[in-house]
Amino acid sequence: MSDNRVSRRSVLATGAAGVGAALAGCSGGGGGGGSGSDTIKIGVLEDRSGNFSLVGTPKWRASKLAIEEINDNGGIMGQQIELFDPDPQSDNQRYQQLTERLIQQEDVDALWAGYSSATREAIRPIIDREDQLYFYTTQYEGGVADKNVFCMGSTARQQLGSVVPYMIENFGTDIYTIAADYNFGQLSADWVKVIAQENGASVNNEEFIPLSNQNFGSTISNIQDADPDFVMAILVGNNHSSFWNQRTSAGLDIPMGTSTVMAQSYQHKRLEAPALADVYGGFNYMEEIPTDRNEDYVSRYYDRFPDAGYANQESVNNYFSMYMYKDAVEAAGTTDQQAVREELEGGMEVTGDQSPEGDISLQGPVHHMSHNMRVMRCDEEHNITVEDERMIPEQFLSETVGIDLSGEDSELERQFTPTEYYDAAGE
Amino acid sequence: MTSGFGATGLLTPLFIGDVLGGLDSIGVPVTQLLQMADSIAFIILAAIGLTIIFGMMGVINLAHGEFIMMGAYITTLSVNVAGLPLPVAMILGALGTAIFGAIVERTIVRRLYGRLLDSMIVTFGLGLILTQGTRIIFGNSLQSIGTPFGNVPGYTYSAYRVLLLFAAIAVLGGAYLVFTRTEFGIQARATIQDAETARSMGVDTDRMYTVTFAIGSGLAGLTGALYAPSATIVPGMGQSFLVESFVTVVTGGSTVLLGTTLAGGVLGTIDAVFSNLYGNFIGQIALLLTAIIVIRLLPDGLTGLAHTIRDKLGERQ
Amino acid sequence: MMDVTLPPRLKRIGNKLNGPNTLGNSRAFWAAFAVGMIVMAAYPLVRGSYAAGQFSLFLAYGLLALSLSLIWGYTGILSFGQVAFFGIAGYTYAIVSLNLGGAFGQTVALPVAIAAATLSAFVLGYFMFYGGVQDVYVAILTLVVTLVLETFMAQTAGSEWSIGTVALGGFNGIPGIRNFALGVEGASISLSGSGFYWFVLGVLLLAYLGARVLVNSKYGYALVAIREDAERTAMLGYNVKRVKLAVFTLSGALAGFGGVLYATWGNYMDPSVFSLVFATIPIVWVTLGGRESLLGAIVGTMIIERLRLWFSVNASEFAIVFVGVILMTTVLLVPRGILPGIKDGYVFFSEHGIREGIEHGRVTIQTRIQAWLGSLGIGQSDTETPPSSEVVRE
Repeated sequence: MSDNRVSRRSVLATGAAGVGAALAGCSGGGGGGGSGSDTIKIGVLEDRSGNFSLVGTPKWRASKLAIEEINDNGGIMGQQIELFDPDPQSDNQRYQQLTERLIQQEDVDALWAGYSSATREAIRPIIDREDQLYFYTTQYEGGVADKNVFCMGSTARQQLGSVVPYMIENFGTDIYTIAADYNFGQLSADWVKVIAQENGASVNNEEFIPLSNQNFGSTISNIQDADPDFVMAILVGNNHSSFWNQRTSAGLDIPMGTSTVMAQSYQHKRLEAPALADVYGGFNYMEEIPTDRNEDYVSRYYDRFPDAGYANQESVNNYFSMYMYKDAVEAAGTTDQQAVREELEGGMEVTGDQSPEGDISLQGPVHHMSHNMRVMRCDEEHNITVEDERMIPEQFLSETVGIDLSGEDSELERQFTPTEYYDAAGE
Repeated sequence: MTSGFGATGLLTPLFIGDVLGGLDSIGVPVTQLLQMADSIAFIILAAIGLTIIFGMMGVINLAHGEFIMMGAYITTLSVNVAGLPLPVAMILGALGTAIFGAIVERTIVRRLYGRLLDSMIVTFGLGLILTQGTRIIFGNSLQSIGTPFGNVPGYTYSAYRVLLLFAAIAVLGGAYLVFTRTEFGIQARATIQDAETARSMGVDTDRMYTVTFAIGSGLAGLTGALYAPSATIVPGMGQSFLVESFVTVVTGGSTVLLGTTLAGGVLGTIDAVFSNLYGNFIGQIALLLTAIIVIRLLPDGLTGLAHTIRDKLGERQ
Repeated sequence: MMDVTLPPRLKRIGNKLNGPNTLGNSRAFWAAFAVGMIVMAAYPLVRGSYAAGQFSLFLAYGLLALSLSLIWGYTGILSFGQVAFFGIAGYTYAIVSLNLGGAFGQTVALPVAIAAATLSAFVLGYFMFYGGVQDVYVAILTLVVTLVLETFMAQTAGSEWSIGTVALGGFNGIPGIRNFALGVEGASISLSGSGFYWFVLGVLLLAYLGARVLVNSKYGYALVAIREDAERTAMLGYNVKRVKLAVFTLSGALAGFGGVLYATWGNYMDPSVFSLVFATIPIVWVTLGGRESLLGAIVGTMIIERLRLWFSVNASEFAIVFVGVILMTTVLLVPRGILPGIKDGYVFFSEHGIREGIEHGRVTIQTRIQAWLGSLGIGQSDTETPPSSEVVRE
């Protein structure tokens, strides 16, 4: 350097400052933040942007509603709930980073996170490593047996177990399954086969459709050619929503059963009638359930969130599980996660206003819920009616596999699939 | 007069039904043809806007999906909120997107003509802003419009989706006419080929770029408008067109209209045939693999192949 | 100023590391670099093991960015496929380490995974470069290959899609990958938190220095020559195809190592690494950081990812909007990237002094705003010519 207008020292300083600034970021507080024992810390990671925001935003809203209600009524054990709810943007790496952050830095007492099964699997290693109490609230394929995970949603077995027998009884035994071509869709299709066999019916055609596909012309033609008694349509995601307009304008009028459409992404409100005419869904919850307590819940929900699109099936799972957690903490007398877990494993009842779908219970040894399942029908004007209703417990883990997470299997961390236990599923 | 039109209205579906039934009885696979029409239409319409912007101008527009989304949103809102009839709403969708495209070109893209790969990043950022911005303003979903018409007479197939093939051909034909037969079109192509010479001959090159980019955006908006009655309207809906559009433009090669037609035809047929035989997953893979093979074997895409064949035929004579 | 005379051995190494193909060559640069490395190494001690473990993801991404900088910044090959090799290595590591089990399984899995990525890169590179695929077609082809992988892996959900005892898991991916470990039973080390951070930092440092030596060597000249004008380089007698294939394969190996680190960081592997968004992100990192600068690519990656995380925690639904705005403004205002921009600024300041530097900055901003207003129709316009599509196709 010829001139010393910029000295080496200033360069070093600038360089260090630059790197330091990049590293420090803007997050306040070092590791291990203050564990103030005068609030109860809860983490809620639900997608408010990205691919899953349509179904994730209601979940976040329902959690927030429950927390605000609980706080207004004195909190849990007299302590207010402090909510940590960053937006994971439907991105599994973001989920991993935020889960670590909530556990390590914010020290949350309980965590609600994730819409898709992939997200649950992405953070489950972290959950298990840190022994974090975790509530997974989306309806899913079933089979997760993990000491730290409590699955609040209805399983495919429960959902299909309510609608498939109803369809068989009312329409016939020749079934055509169309399902999204990934884990949830394929496992659900397996369950359709199992349940069909249990009810004297058979799945004679199966078609798997990639999540990115939005062109159903060939599928619709195939269904028409096969002329089944009814179709089980396990379609997931926004691209698959195109199916309904196409089927209606193609004139396909075979009745269809589903475990995914309507209750989750409220196609019956977003698509013009009669796109979802004659569709029967097996769900533990839909906004249109005509009971007093549900109508009260729905009006509270929209009072709090006037811009909300819909109160979907999984969001109500977020709602009641927050109350269930409150009951468990108060019964255990502490937020210590092991103690709360044991309390939950002793079984819980969720009743009254805490559970808009009806009175339900937690099957402690398998960490899953018995749900008040309903078969709900959508007619040509997109009105929803309840056709059938019954309590369906979780059967796969509790009876078929036979595990006890509160006892001998308390160290399990895996997912069971029907193909290991049913011949019908493996075909 | 009116009774005459009414009679025509009744005649057409019956007539079509008879024709198709007749074809079917002599062994023509009508259902497969309908599926092919659907696939080809989708691929051509997905690509057409990008063909102008990427194929002609070289700008890698990663916000192409968002332009499609914009056309769909404008159309849907025009029908549901303003109560306009569907064809008017669609034209509005295309025009609105064209105007937006013109604005984007003047303020942003213009800076990047010397740095085309940077245009990719900028449009990527623009796409993020558009998608999330739409979500913040309009929420996660809009009430969608019903699909007009019904089924193809005698077949379980949506007539609207098949008619989109005619729309695709009309759009291609219209673009061809504009760019080859009009004064503007010739000036635009001249500008893109050699701006210096064009400018020295008195062409307002700035305006050419803006209008060409606007046409490309408008066509993308038109695609969104055309598919709005058949899809659900969410902010991320453009993503499902993106892969097909880039693959088609690159497979088609350098001649915009011939290339898109050929690529659309070939890829659409392969997608339909394989989906029919082996399922949608194989159809998707077949489409992507075909693109890989074409890119590898034909340096100028299908356009190059067409030119080679034409030259060979010329030699023989 | 002090004039440190280095021992001849260090001088030789120094000569290898410096050259016209890297931006920072002066003593000031290396001094700042040393300071930066000390700060990075001290990070876990200051912020704790958890924060270090989190940050090590960004370091692993840095490897990915470095690989892209080599082939794109230096050789001019734009590839969306780096994430394909990243993902292939990650999946291979998961399959091998979970099948064999234990620390030994993991030790074997590391070279196998990198070999899988390297082999894939070699095959794809051969297919492309020896098939005459060029420029933007390479970009699209690599993108399509990546998407084929995504579509394929997403549907491998059933138990029939298993390799050994490990189910590929389809959309749900493969969970349960162990933390990074080397050794055999009884004599192994497992890394997490601070330990993992230092390991990844070390790997990144070695890769960076190695890349510097490469680009400043005769080989590096060939790379840059190919980027500038491939035909002329071929006419000068270089086997362009072989050089491209070699650097593409090397990049694949680097990306693969990054993939292994990613898999052991999150203990999880799923098809989202092959998605369109994730394939585009490295290009964003490298463009913003400075594609023609190795260090720029790495630093740009860390800054952007840190920023994205900060936004998602603090900006809720506006996070993605802010990221988009930053992308656009950075590309428009700092065209060569952040680090080259800093370097240009530094060079300017050191030559002309601070006062003139500020004056120049003010004038530049003024001209740029005027030009931008001009393009909107206010005042005169100022545009460059877009090349014709034929030129782009070459």
